[in-house]
Amino acid sequence: MSSMEGGDRDKKLVSPKNSSNVDDEADVFEITDFTTASVWECFIARLEEILHEWKLVNHEPCEPALKDQYASGTWAERTEEVVFVDFRFHFSYLYLKGNDEVAPKSTNSKREDVEESDDDHKTPTVFFDLMNLENDFPMRAHYLCRWYGLQEFFTLMPVSEKQYIDSESRAKLLLSSSSIALANCNCSIPVFIQLHQKWRKLFTGTCLVPGASIEFEMSHLRKFPPQFCHLAGLLDVFKSKLGCVYISMPPVSVSVRFTYILKDWFHSAWPQMPPDFSSISDGEVGYGDLDFLPFGACTDPISELHLSCTWPCLSEDMIVENSLYSDLDPLQAPQWNVKLQMTDDPQCLLGEFLKDFLKLCDRIESTDEVLKKVLVDTDGDKHSAEITHALQKLTEPVPALSSLPSLGNVVSSASSRIKFKPNEAPIPDILMDRILQYLFPDAKIPRSQSGLKSPSSKSARKESNVSLTSGSLTSSVSEHTIDEDKKAETEKISDILTDLSKQLKSAPVDSLTHRLSLALCNVNHNFGGLLGVAHLWQEFILEMRFRWENKHLICSIEKGTPNMGSCLLHQKLQMLNCCIECKIKRESAGYGYGPDSQNIHNQLPDVIDASSPKAMKRLSKAASSLGYSDDDDEEEEFFECDDDEAGPETKVDDATNVKDDDSVKGRAKNGPDEAENALSSDSSSLSCKSDVNDKRKELKNSSRNSSMSSSIFHDSLSHRPEGRMVPMKNVYLLNSGEQLYIPITQEPSPMTEDMLEEQAEVLAKLGTSAEGSQIRARMQSACLVSDMESFKAANPGCILEDFVRWYSPRDYVVEGETNLDNENDLDGESLEADQKGPNVFKRGHLSQRMQIPGNMWVEAWQSARAVPARRQKRLFDDTKEAEKVLHYLASMKPAEVVLHLMPCVVHAAVAKLVEEAAQASVPNLKNIVEPLIARVAKVTRNFPFDKKKYSELLRLIEIAEVFTARTVSLRSKFTSDHLTFPEQEGKETEIENFVTALLNQGEVLVKGGACGPAGAIIHKMFIASQRANNMILDDEDNEEDSISGKPNQDSKKSSMQTLQASSEIRSSSSCSDFPAASTREYILRAMVPRPAPYSKVLPQRMYCILADGESRLAGAFISDTTFQ
Amino acid sequence: MEEQEILTTLKILIIGESGVGKSSLLLRFTEDTFDPEQAATIGVDFKVKTLTVDGNKTKLAIWDTAGQERFRTLTPSYYRGAQGVILVYDVCSKQSFNKLDAWLNELETFSTKHDMVKMLVGNKIDRPNHEVTKDEGLKFARKHHMLFIEASAKTNDGVQCAFEELVEKIIQTPGLWETSGKNLTLGSKGGEPGAGQGCYCVV
Repeated sequence: MSSMEGGDRDKKLVSPKNSSNVDDEADVFEITDFTTASVWECFIARLEEILHEWKLVNHEPCEPALKDQYASGTWAERTEEVVFVDFRFHFSYLYLKGNDEVAPKSTNSKREDVEESDDDHKTPTVFFDLMNLENDFPMRAHYLCRWYGLQEFFTLMPVSEKQYIDSESRAKLLLSSSSIALANCNCSIPVFIQLHQKWRKLFTGTCLVPGASIEFEMSHLRKFPPQFCHLAGLLDVFKSKLGCVYISMPPVSVSVRFTYILKDWFHSAWPQMPPDFSSISDGEVGYGDLDFLPFGACTDPISELHLSCTWPCLSEDMIVENSLYSDLDPLQAPQWNVKLQMTDDPQCLLGEFLKDFLKLCDRIESTDEVLKKVLVDTDGDKHSAEITHALQKLTEPVPALSSLPSLGNVVSSASSRIKFKPNEAPIPDILMDRILQYLFPDAKIPRSQSGLKSPSSKSARKESNVSLTSGSLTSSVSEHTIDEDKKAETEKISDILTDLSKQLKSAPVDSLTHRLSLALCNVNHNFGGLLGVAHLWQEFILEMRFRWENKHLICSIEKGTPNMGSCLLHQKLQMLNCCIECKIKRESAGYGYGPDSQNIHNQLPDVIDASSPKAMKRLSKAASSLGYSDDDDEEEEFFECDDDEAGPETKVDDATNVKDDDSVKGRAKNGPDEAENALSSDSSSLSCKSDVNDKRKELKNSSRNSSMSSSIFHDSLSHRPEGRMVPMKNVYLLNSGEQLYIPITQEPSPMTEDMLEEQAEVLAKLGTSAEGSQIRARMQSACLVSDMESFKAANPGCILEDFVRWYSPRDYVVEGETNLDNENDLDGESLEADQKGPNVFKRGHLSQRMQIPGNMWVEAWQSARAVPARRQKRLFDDTKEAEKVLHYLASMKPAEVVLHLMPCVVHAAVAKLVEEAAQASVPNLKNIVEPLIARVAKVTRNFPFDKKKYSELLRLIEIAEVFTARTVSLRSKFTSDHLTFPEQEGKETEIENFVTALLNQGEVLVKGGACGPAGAIIHKMFIASQRANNMILDDEDNEEDSISGKPNQDSKKSSMQTLQASSEIRSSSSCSDFPAASTREYILRAMVPRPAPYSKVLPQRMYCILADGESRLAGAFISDTTFQ
Repeated sequence: MEEQEILTTLKILIIGESGVGKSSLLLRFTEDTFDPEQAATIGVDFKVKTLTVDGNKTKLAIWDTAGQERFRTLTPSYYRGAQGVILVYDVCSKQSFNKLDAWLNELETFSTKHDMVKMLVGNKIDRPNHEVTKDEGLKFARKHHMLFIEASAKTNDGVQCAFEELVEKIIQTPGLWETSGKNLTLGSKGGEPGAGQGCYCVV
């Protein structure tokens, strides 16, 4: 009510209740008093206010709608809430947008036809609408629009579901109120008031146009009496309603639509078979199954096909339909439309599969908490009696196994595997073996106790494993080739897939991370859900630790520093691999950072061999479940960092024979000259560049003793060069004139993105002050110092200038070559030695910035000792980093594991989707897939992972899956062999287009109706379905004849003959081709004077729908208000 | 307007050969000083400055990197997430100009945002004996879709402008940055009109 009291009230001066206020006698202004206005008046006022707001006052009539504009045009709706006493309504205006563009010319001429009187007034929109034949049975439209053919109308509907208008007097009150409002506003748009419950869609309506009024009436019944259930009966109703007594009544125009439903797809059963997961545990199928992603819908995603046959605009004289006879044969219908009824939310295998996996994110248990229910109690003896009471055991509190995964806990169990109560392991041993084989194809990990009792059985087991592997290998190979073929077949898919791999932040296909994600998915879906996932994850962590401790590189994880383009978990695994690699380098047979270590990438994979002794050792270890005791040298986890460079250490940096080295050692004590000799031999074995050495010797004699810099490295002569990599071409030490060697340096620490972020944060936190910068530089100088130390070790007698020439050549200014402005010129060419031979050696100096006293470089140089990289403090502490990674993995809850693997899972799912969709040749594949990929790419790049976003992604994937399934289903229905007609050759494209249209649009016009290629197929489908339903078992030949006979005629002769042919079929099969129409719709129209014979001739219309369980009559009757 | 909320924080990189004046440019921009004895950067350094462009207050986290070859194993890890990069060469050193391609390659490899805004700065124009002409710089910038300006950290030529243009371009690139607040001011250009695209391959 409060909304009524706005300023709008003042406009309404026509209100009956205005009287001047008594208090203001002297006032010249007239006071209008509405204080006693009734609720009824308020309601009307409110409606008018809304009409003003919507600018519908003096509303101009619209042009009649164009053909099919109701379905193709856009509809708009505006809604306001109005109140009548305590009854709240939604007052809505629904209208067809963009009707203004109708060309005025054509409509003018049209209007003249219709307009028979009243030239002063434009014909109201309603009149056109009621008689407009162009938009009968729109494909999609508001039901009121469908029933009355209106392009604009108001509705007044109760807001609440519980309140409804059930009495006629209330309805009349509302009708008359709104009539007053509309009349006040001179608005001739129909208004409808909803009666009874909402679901009944029962309305009564009215409309006032100049000189006439329209009643919209409706009756809604479950079933009409049989005498009205056909055209003849309905015509009687219509005519009696018109009350037209005069004899020359014009014929009623009739439009009819019958809809037939095809529910049984007799000839094409839904092909999707539910996947058989049991095969994995059977032990018969190889582990290739573990990366299997199911795809498709379990049930047919298309449930029904609705065929609508339309006879537009017939004269009542032309057709007969009564209880005994009907002219309305669907095959003769001039217009066929088809609509698909999709199964609501069909169960989709991939979608369900992934959703199941994502659901684990809601579980808060840690891995240990999940597993401790089934773990063997360590103090098992006293509980042993209870083992049989499994149920009780599961429910009773278990003696605490620390719920937080502490390092010690994990370490101790690393080699002893997880021990489960008998028969309670979430994943049976055999299956676990298979999964681990799938994850780690490089190692055999038989865990079954049975296989380990005797050596012979062990080897037997191993053999069986081998055969298994080879079998699955060949199968995977063949799969691979098939895959290749597919790719060759459609370049597009492979493009999309590569694009996918590039865009997503996941892990490479076939990497361990990728496989792990699929294996966990499968385990979750098929073997024990959360428990299974926790179990496999635990095994995975143990394997990771095992590999770290036993220096087995993790297979299927690419080498090198963590790739920031992959997901965090993958980076962590890469990091662990780096650690393992580093450990191997460190410990393998005394090789340090020798020249060989550079080729370590090429050599190392050999270390891991399925049949290697280490694997065997591991096997026995796992079997005996002994504590961790290995005679490998894992315990050595630190570098020596010796101070006395003079005393050569026992470790040798390269593969030269020990004898040579011994001689070096011996001579080193005798004096510099001999040491030089030893050096030469040493370095020649390193570099094999004797010519360079010769030069070096010459130089050495000339320039050795001339010390030019104050920063001479005093120990230079007392140590033997170590850790040389390659000589730097044509660059010689400034003091000694010896060849300058590029040292072997420590590689920078690999970092995962979270470490990097952490470090960047630390650096950023130091602030922007000079001190901050200083500390930052110092923090990062470790690498610089390390390089300096390596340099010193490799180049005895070197000075900072030498180092700068290698490290930052632009900071060494060569005299004579410098520009005029040589005070702090930095662009002295680094390659100065190129132009000059060793004999014409030119001096230079450090750039100004390097000469600043106390600058970091000088400082670092002074503090650096000559230590080769291999004996330096490790910049990268592989032990620490590996433990960090392992701890990170171990402390992940299953929910976190799932989230971390989601990028890989989604990656695999999208790849699967693309493949399947391409195989099904889904129309507009690109349009479906590209936005999906873009979305997925965005989500996978986000960190931290957001479960909600992933579930949205899964929803999108599922939608695409359903669409693919629909395509498959529909295409199989329309292209199955029994439907192919000889004359349809060459019309595949038309059928293809039809199928595509069906998938993308709601209702599709069948070109050529029953005679078109698609129509013929639909016809056959109905025949097949009818036969099946009526249990007609014709003798096969007969049917074949009639069916194959018909199309031949079809192709050659006119449609009339087709009809004959089809009626032949009908007679032979003794049942109709089509089932009884499920829905019958009629529109009856006439131009009749109402209410009296002398009244104006006005349009009258009645719509009728007869369907199962619902029959409705909706009439619009116009009566003349002038000549009644 | 004084207490305006910071619209977003942008990560800006400065890269280029050693000794081309990266740190000096940064120092000039952040503190408006020039230190002829600027020490050679070790690893990466970091500075923060707030800048108001077109009425949008942005916080710049600028990462200055060492140009030495050896540090290049270390510094690219800081390229992640940068929205803008300033690639510097020395107009008096052809060699520093010739190495630009390698720097762009590295950027391509290590940056995570592929639509990041790149600006080419030819530094040290106060000096005589230019080895790289302005035209060469322009051509390079056009070829690689970069903004271009010549500057001098010593005489404070074009330094402020370079940073402002870069930030403005980033703000104009949708999807490149995420707003921390909600008040993006559009269209109210503080500078002269047309400055937005001004530096894009001007000939």
